[in-house]
Amino acid sequence: MRPASLNKEPDSLIFREVEDRDLIAKARGGHVEPFNLLVSRWEKRVFNYLLKLVRDREDSLDLTQEVFLKAYQNLGKLEDPDRFGAWLYRIAHNEAFSLLRKRKPESDSEREPAGRTLSYRMYPAELNLTVETALARLTDEQREAVILKVYQGFKFEEMAEALGCPVSTVKSRLYTALDLLKQTLAPIQTRGVQ
Amino acid sequence: MTCSPFDLKDYFFEELNHAEREAVRAHVADCPQCSEELSRLRVTQAALATLADEEPPRRIAFVSDRVFEPRWWQRFWQSGPRLGFASAALLAMAILVHAFVHTAQPARPAIAAVAPAAADESRIGAEVARRLQPALDAAVAQSEARQAQRTAQLVEATRKEFDFERRADRLSYEETLSLMQKKFNVFYTASADLGVRQ
Repeated sequence: MRPASLNKEPDSLIFREVEDRDLIAKARGGHVEPFNLLVSRWEKRVFNYLLKLVRDREDSLDLTQEVFLKAYQNLGKLEDPDRFGAWLYRIAHNEAFSLLRKRKPESDSEREPAGRTLSYRMYPAELNLTVETALARLTDEQREAVILKVYQGFKFEEMAEALGCPVSTVKSRLYTALDLLKQTLAPIQTRGVQ
Repeated sequence: MTCSPFDLKDYFFEELNHAEREAVRAHVADCPQCSEELSRLRVTQAALATLADEEPPRRIAFVSDRVFEPRWWQRFWQSGPRLGFASAALLAMAILVHAFVHTAQPARPAIAAVAPAAADESRIGAEVARRLQPALDAAVAQSEARQAQRTAQLVEATRKEFDFERRADRLSYEETLSLMQKKFNVFYTASADLGVRQ
């Protein structure tokens, strides 16, 4: 027979998932480990956003490290911890475009040549190259809009917050990019990938 | 341009409310042009989705570098204003204590006080010298030992970091080589395919 006090469930314990805001509060207190946990939650998404945008693996990795370092240093300036994602992408956006501006600006003739618009079936690896080429032909802003919407699943309001521009601008960039991509990619049918 | 009541792309990206979505769905069911446009958007998205996310080549982690943080007395020593304020406060306290002691003590014959005071001073000086020197030696030895241990820890940490970076670089080279081989295979297969077709 168990004592009555052991049969009673403790009312004060509430089990819930540790959220970003919990980790942010601890990291703001000067603890590094909660911030490392935060990094592990976001680093893959931020790295792939930067990789598709700047199209260089080493640059993307350096930028990702820089983004998280700046986030740690400026964590005290984050007003609403629930908006951490958009705030983090805003830092990543600023870092990426700072690098892209430093690079030699590409004229239209120096951009990636137009990919073949193929109607026959392609191998998946060949399709990857065609998609990479099609994305590379977009402007940096258009490509960023496609990455955030298609690959990262952002809503328009979140994109506008991360990029610091109106929703109408975000939609305009995305839809222009989509029309360009459609011309190249819509006729493609792949072997094994529909 | 399509004849849909709302933007087809907004519908495609699920940025419409329920009523708007229903209106577009009903329209698309009866409009071959909008239906075709929608399927082109789906194919485009499916093609884009074949470009999968990659794992970062190296994981990012931050460490709290307490070894290099100055201790409280180092911070205090390096702070000019604090040090100046503390010196001034100490001097003021010394003056106050001196004034209080001298006013509180009854007046004694000057000659009677000088001899015992001189004897006490020499005795205290000898005692302080006897005790201070071993304590100083012990403190210096402890400090040097701590310093040596800290240096060894730093050297070990640097060596581990170097090894880790070297392994990561090697993995990166292997990945790049593998990617190049795959791309070469793709081109080879495509050219062979083209040859067969011709």
